[in-house]
Amino acid sequence: MKQFRKMTYPYVAWISVMIIVPMILILLYAITTEGNGVVNFNFTIDNFVRFFSDSIFLEVLGRSLRVALITTVLCIVLGYIPAYYIAKCSDGIKMKWVLIITFPTWINMLVRTYAWIGILQNDGIINTILGWVGIGPVDMIYTEFAVILGMVYNFIPFMILQIYTSLSKMDNSLIEAAQDLGANRFQCFWRITFPLSLPGVISGITLVFLPAVSSFCIPKLLGGGQYVLVGNVIESQFLTSGDWNFGSAISLIMAIIIMISMYITKKVDKTEIGERASA
Amino acid sequence: MKGFAKKAAALLLALVMVMGLAACSKESGSTGDGANAGAESSDKKEFDSKTLKIFLPGAYMEDSLVPAFEKEYGVKVIVENFDSNEMMYTKLSAGDSYDVLIPSDYMIERLMKEDALQPIDKSVITNLSNLADQTKNLVYDPDNTYSVPYFWGNVGLVYNKNNVPKEEIEAKGYDILKDTKYKGHIYMYDSERDGFMIAFKQLGYSCNTDNEAEINAAYEWLVELNKTMDPVYVTDEVIDAMANGQKDIAIVYSGDAAYVLSENPNMGYCAPNCGTNKWFDAMVIPKNAENPKLANEFINYMLRNDVCEKNTMEVGYTSANKAVLDKMIAEDGEYADNEAYYPRTYDKDEVFRDNESLRKKLSELWIKVKAAK
Repeated sequence: MKQFRKMTYPYVAWISVMIIVPMILILLYAITTEGNGVVNFNFTIDNFVRFFSDSIFLEVLGRSLRVALITTVLCIVLGYIPAYYIAKCSDGIKMKWVLIITFPTWINMLVRTYAWIGILQNDGIINTILGWVGIGPVDMIYTEFAVILGMVYNFIPFMILQIYTSLSKMDNSLIEAAQDLGANRFQCFWRITFPLSLPGVISGITLVFLPAVSSFCIPKLLGGGQYVLVGNVIESQFLTSGDWNFGSAISLIMAIIIMISMYITKKVDKTEIGERASA
Repeated sequence: MKGFAKKAAALLLALVMVMGLAACSKESGSTGDGANAGAESSDKKEFDSKTLKIFLPGAYMEDSLVPAFEKEYGVKVIVENFDSNEMMYTKLSAGDSYDVLIPSDYMIERLMKEDALQPIDKSVITNLSNLADQTKNLVYDPDNTYSVPYFWGNVGLVYNKNNVPKEEIEAKGYDILKDTKYKGHIYMYDSERDGFMIAFKQLGYSCNTDNEAEINAAYEWLVELNKTMDPVYVTDEVIDAMANGQKDIAIVYSGDAAYVLSENPNMGYCAPNCGTNKWFDAMVIPKNAENPKLANEFINYMLRNDVCEKNTMEVGYTSANKAVLDKMIAEDGEYADNEAYYPRTYDKDEVFRDNESLRKKLSELWIKVKAAK
């Protein structure tokens, strides 16, 4: 066995170089001032103070969390139904559905998002059709609606696939047993199917909420520059302002918020399932 | 049997990919050969199959110019685009190496200060004499030691003449951006220097001020605009959007405006009376260029009359080449009736200067302007 353990060394090295070192660098940037040499650092917490003492940045943070939350809820609601139906299909059809659901993710996300600009803009497809019926151009592009639509569209496959996976692992005899004991279809779903699909929902939440809260290209393209989320603030610190220290500090704040929310969902996951199983 | 079919499909796919790669490499090889044949007699042979990396704003060069240069010199050119001078600076300072950059005046000044550029070779760039008078003797590099002007122009308002009266926009200048009649019908340009320039000029300050009170006043002006007018902040998207008449008023560089006006006759251009920014984009060679000699050849090529003419006809920006500029604005020229093409000479128009404290403050404030609701 020992010689096998050696085979993990390349992976450990890979993880340290690609994940741990960058994390340490971000931490280091976040707690230092600009213009440090290689040897001596000036430590500071100013970067964090600057973020939390500015009402505009806090507003941006609140907006990001709200948009990510709305996106996640919509993804659960809209994603659960297809996931449920796919899980009920026969094996051959299942694979075809999964293929169809993942198909859009084969295309670059930027291209897919750009396509929405063409669909939503004032002389776009939707407004042209509305124009034929005599409804004036509805402002859709560069609104919060467009941003959330773009996010739901981009992230919903992750939710569907997670829920589908946990639903298809479910043992069908449980439902048969419940029906034997006189449960109606709704009770079957609520007491058996839904709790058993929760692990999928939870990992779906992680896969949707995390990219949604830190997304910067969707709000930029569909929100039009004035729709600023935390991801955009971080991007601007690195790309235009060149203030890597402040940018790193915001990234760190986001990382902590995400860790806390993951911890909470894990907790909910355990207690929920525990309670339902014992109920 | 099913397993076999899968394997066969995978093999086929791999084969197709390998063949694709082979085709690619073959293609680039053959262009090299053809170019050599043509350049045999000249001294261009020394550049044989070298690579030139250029970094310039998006949609800023006519498409056929680079392939023509590649063919003539038997080299390969890699073109990369940037959204803003600031983004270019970030990439450059992260250590990326390029042979030719096309940044704006104030950024060139900054790069010169930081000793990031190398002098151009005037013995190679013999076409320097083609430059128009207006692009000579520029304040940041008076004798073209480091930079060779590429395009120039100013910043102004493109407006839909059917919805915005000409007299009104000329009387109000940039203040029209705060007229609630046009709420939701405005494009701002997503660049900190240009955004603040508008406020500085409208408030009667210099766009190079680093006076704290003046910067704050400009910040308040912009925040109020953002809160009351629902502007959309875009960069190059503004060109097509205004050519399609998506909104009524937009902040646009004169060269893009010239393109918009030639595409859409309903659009007009106004450089406000309060003054605006006059700018020069120029070709420079960074210190860490890998092929500075070829870079000089490229700059010389970009100054040729035929090249400049093709370029300005397609891109719409004002040529820095005297003969071409004269031809374009002559009575029967391509841009004779285009009010945006030929930048005015006006004493309230200013060129941006590099100023570290101003730069820092603006970059800090710009994201807040856009985020303020």
